[in-house]
Amino acid sequence: MRRHVEGRNWSKVVAFIAVGAIIVASCGSSKKSATTAAPTGTGSQSTTAPSGTTAPSGTTAPAGTNAPSGGAHELVIDRDMDINSLDISASYCDTCQIFNTAVYETLITVDPADPNKLLPRLATSWQANTDNTVFTFKLDPAAKFADGSQVEAKDVKFSWQRLGNLKGSASYLMAGMKSIDDSDPTTVVITFDAPNSAFLPIVAASYLGIINSDVATAQGATDAADAATADKAGDWFLAHSAGSGPYQLESYTQGDKLVLTRNDKYWGAKKPAFPRVTIAEVKDSSSQLQQLQSGDADISMQISVDAVGQLQGNADVTTKIVDSYNYVYIALSPGAAGGEKLQDVTVRKAIKEAIDYDGAIQALVAGKGKKQASPIPNGFIGSAGLPLPEYNLDDAKKLLSAAGLADGFELDATYPDANVYGVDFNLMMQKIQQDLAKVKINLKLTPIQFTDWITRINAKGIPVTAVYFAPDHTDTSQYIQYFGLIPNSFWAGSAGGGAAGKPMDNPKESDLLKQALGSSGDAKAKAYTDAGQQMIDDEIIIPIVNTQLVLASRTNITGMHYSACCNLDLGLLGLAG
Amino acid sequence: MSLLSTAPRLLVDVAPRSTWKSPWKRVTVIAGMTVTSFWLVVLITLSWWAPYKPLDAVGGRLQAPSWHHLFGTDALSRDVFTRTLYGARQTLPVSVGVIVCAVTIGTVLGSLAGFFGGWIESVVMRLVDVTLAFPPIFLAMAVAAALGPGLQNAFFAMVIVWWPIYARLIRGQVQAVKHRDHIQAAVSIGATRWRILRKHVLPLSFTPALINATLDLGQVVILTATLSFLGLGAKPPSPEWGAMITDGAQFFYQWWVAVAPGIAILTVAMSFNFLGDGLRDALDVRAKR
Amino acid sequence: MPFLLLGIVTIAFCISRLIPADPLASIVGVRQMANPTIVAAARQKWGLNGSILEQYWVFLKNLVRGDLGISFRTRKPVTHDLLDRLPATLELAVGALVVGGVGGVALGAYAASKKDKMADHLSRGFSLLGSSLPVFWIGLVFLFVLYARLGWFPGPGRLPPRTKPPGHVTGFYTIDSLLDGNFTLFRQCLWRLVLPCFVLGWAYMGQLSRLVRAAMLDEINSDYVRTARAKGLAERLVMRRHVLRNAWLPTLTILGFSFAQLLTASVLTETIFQWNGIGSYAVQSANTLDFPGINGVSLFAGLAFLLANLATDVLYAVADPKIRLA
Repeated sequence: MRRHVEGRNWSKVVAFIAVGAIIVASCGSSKKSATTAAPTGTGSQSTTAPSGTTAPSGTTAPAGTNAPSGGAHELVIDRDMDINSLDISASYCDTCQIFNTAVYETLITVDPADPNKLLPRLATSWQANTDNTVFTFKLDPAAKFADGSQVEAKDVKFSWQRLGNLKGSASYLMAGMKSIDDSDPTTVVITFDAPNSAFLPIVAASYLGIINSDVATAQGATDAADAATADKAGDWFLAHSAGSGPYQLESYTQGDKLVLTRNDKYWGAKKPAFPRVTIAEVKDSSSQLQQLQSGDADISMQISVDAVGQLQGNADVTTKIVDSYNYVYIALSPGAAGGEKLQDVTVRKAIKEAIDYDGAIQALVAGKGKKQASPIPNGFIGSAGLPLPEYNLDDAKKLLSAAGLADGFELDATYPDANVYGVDFNLMMQKIQQDLAKVKINLKLTPIQFTDWITRINAKGIPVTAVYFAPDHTDTSQYIQYFGLIPNSFWAGSAGGGAAGKPMDNPKESDLLKQALGSSGDAKAKAYTDAGQQMIDDEIIIPIVNTQLVLASRTNITGMHYSACCNLDLGLLGLAG
Repeated sequence: MSLLSTAPRLLVDVAPRSTWKSPWKRVTVIAGMTVTSFWLVVLITLSWWAPYKPLDAVGGRLQAPSWHHLFGTDALSRDVFTRTLYGARQTLPVSVGVIVCAVTIGTVLGSLAGFFGGWIESVVMRLVDVTLAFPPIFLAMAVAAALGPGLQNAFFAMVIVWWPIYARLIRGQVQAVKHRDHIQAAVSIGATRWRILRKHVLPLSFTPALINATLDLGQVVILTATLSFLGLGAKPPSPEWGAMITDGAQFFYQWWVAVAPGIAILTVAMSFNFLGDGLRDALDVRAKR
Repeated sequence: MPFLLLGIVTIAFCISRLIPADPLASIVGVRQMANPTIVAAARQKWGLNGSILEQYWVFLKNLVRGDLGISFRTRKPVTHDLLDRLPATLELAVGALVVGGVGGVALGAYAASKKDKMADHLSRGFSLLGSSLPVFWIGLVFLFVLYARLGWFPGPGRLPPRTKPPGHVTGFYTIDSLLDGNFTLFRQCLWRLVLPCFVLGWAYMGQLSRLVRAAMLDEINSDYVRTARAKGLAERLVMRRHVLRNAWLPTLTILGFSFAQLLTASVLTETIFQWNGIGSYAVQSANTLDFPGINGVSLFAGLAFLLANLATDVLYAVADPKIRLA
């Protein structure tokens, strides 16, 4: 480092002081804007804004560890959050399901104990016409938003139309909607173009929760057809909520925590048990476990099955391993660039038979998972009775020689570098690589970021990849719509080579879906089962493991559950004693 | 630590020569040589004597260390000890390659800049300044992300991060050397500039570069592992040390998965540091200031 | 200096656009990426339409006005995000600098005074260890041993769970808690800084102690120190009056420089210790291809580098009697 002995130093002194001054000034001004903007609430750019409302702890309770206000326990949940939006109509993520369910309410909800049983929530009763095109809901006249105003049919209409028109990831749930009649404030009548027997379970999906339309509209929200571009409320929803649920949004700091407060005016029978709920961003399983052990967290949502043993013998902590409807799968895309060898369905079948599923389930989740037959997860209507995938190395070899590929070949396997539902994709793909090497198929593994993955799968497709899926609602239709080779299905397009290729098509699946949506009971179940078999025969989606879930909480927390529609319904949680 | 990679350059200027008589020097240089040759021998002969194959499932899943598996097994039942040994084949060639490329590019550009001055110097040095102003890890991350994961791409990213350091070093040395008497003498007897640069200036400038290169080798080993740890280096299933630590981080309570690769990085980086120090003393470099 | 900053943001801009992925993918989500109308609308909304040159021009124009754009990911102005996270990172970097600075000088001075004794070897070994350890690994090891197993230190994060941050004045939890008069919280926050700061500062400590040791040995062997000794001055006085006073100059040269690097080295430390600062912001921005975020972080890093260099020069000029400010 050479020193300047000449006169340049003063200029540097001046420059240094000047830049320093600018920084100090900008810090100062931003601080000022945060404190002045926060109390007014509107348009505040600060997520931690409500410092005004949380102030009591800072001033009156100098102990710092917040003395629970009113003597009640504040709930802390550890979770690796994947929030894409806190605007319910634009949101689409697992954590969003928890948030949406706590803050907004759906007309119907699903019994956590039995996913096929619907329970009333904002609606007291509902009925479908005989051909499943018109649905009528009677709203509970007692239902009130957090600001005290009545939940009316116009709010339902606004929320559902906005969901459809915002064109977010969950907008597909409103596909086929023709009109909503809100002429009677307590009656909602929704009409579809075509039979849609899946709609009642869809109504229970967290994304169909009801927004206070007056409040949202005042913040620039709109349900008009051009909502995707005209709606301006997205930023407002990052710091505010407008629902009728047991909790309200207090603040959200990306990468840190999501804080909910009790809705003191909650109208429902089961009053919210906690004055405040904090979902803390805790990324790794081991920290989640430590905090649960020490009581710093009440619930830890992603403790890995390999770590659970550490909690044994700790009476303060209760763990339970339950079945879930989540699964991870690999997908074969014959239309993708480099996937030409996969165009022969026997080759795809050979790959499926070459995978050692039991070994994979052991390696990935220490055996805490199940094999799954088709893209329809175990427990959903249409999943029963389908043949589970079998590891059959000899048959796989035979199939490959029949296809003239006994000497093997190479396949590109690009997948998101993710760890979802306790499954590490790097591990899973290495395991599959090991298995396929035995039939001389050489998988070239490339883990990439999710953004990159989405770009690639949409552009040209990826021959072999790995993904995960959790249900949006409790009807089987979503799996055919996403995995089936039918028009507008994600995998029909991607397996066909993305934008560069031609979507794959299996007309039987379109018919079966239509059949199922127009029927109910056994006929519906039969149609879904047949569709499941069709998807198995497509040999596009190969589910690897239907994962189980570790429910881990402090022993004094009551009501721990896993819900098919909503992941975890915070309103059902309570405190023992 | 790779992130402070520009700092060792100051050491070259300031550190005094300590003599070979110092017991510290003797011990460290011998330790450095021993560990380095250990890894070299491992690298070359590993395939003949390694207990297992690095990609094979052997024994059970996540087994704790035992006589059969010195550092246990990972989630795919692979022997961690074997994988760690094989990791040397990934990391060491890459690290040496990065340094060789960085020194070569840096020497060429730096000596051109130092010897000829003028616009060549301003272009090269501006480029050096901008690259150095970028935090090394950001730059490496960005380049590796742009190129996609893979050890090869990580290699390019690291060369981009490292060459300016040598360009700046060599330029300074060349500038200092070119006014010395014997070089002025060569000029006066009519030697061409190229010849002077090659025969007289570079050999003198190269010693500090060599010392730095040795010291930097350890830092490159760490940065290679860092990029892999961030998912930008070696692709699975190759047994790269950083990637193995990533795996191990997920199995926090099965601590053995991450221990061996960490120790491997530590020993390699440390022995290069020892050797660099020793080399500095042996070559008796003193910056004139 | 403006040239350097321009160079930095230009390189950041170019590299982020070179990445073969579309940031819209993380904005519109996997289900809507195939929908051309939605993609086009999002492209418009987030300023990703138009050629790269046009985007670059818009970016520069906004930059001149101090506007770094809205983050694709957090949907907030990047300047706001950065200022929000700056205190966390500064707290960490300052802590590491203190650990490294104080530890480095003390260790180096001690080693020099005990030259070639066992203490010298141990302290040199300890400092060398620091610069040979991968930060992400030693962070994990510390968490496993000192937190999970022994429970001597608190776990990751800036605040104890269930604790509300102190009133926002500076954003530094340590300072804010003191301003609140909340000493319990102050102690907790400080305690939580120890492990990450040590992990971050160790490497720096190693380098500094080597430097200080070398500089001190130089001074000890210099003529005037020998003269002082010859005069019969007490050894401790010689050390304090002559040696230490002159040996801290080289320390200064590395100080400011290291601070800038510590700021950015925090990427890994923040990831391991779940520190919601600029380092983790950088990683998240890079992972989701949040262009405004990436550019903002690069600019910040460049600025930190320049400021630290300036500060070093200024300090040096003030400290070194041989240099006169003209």
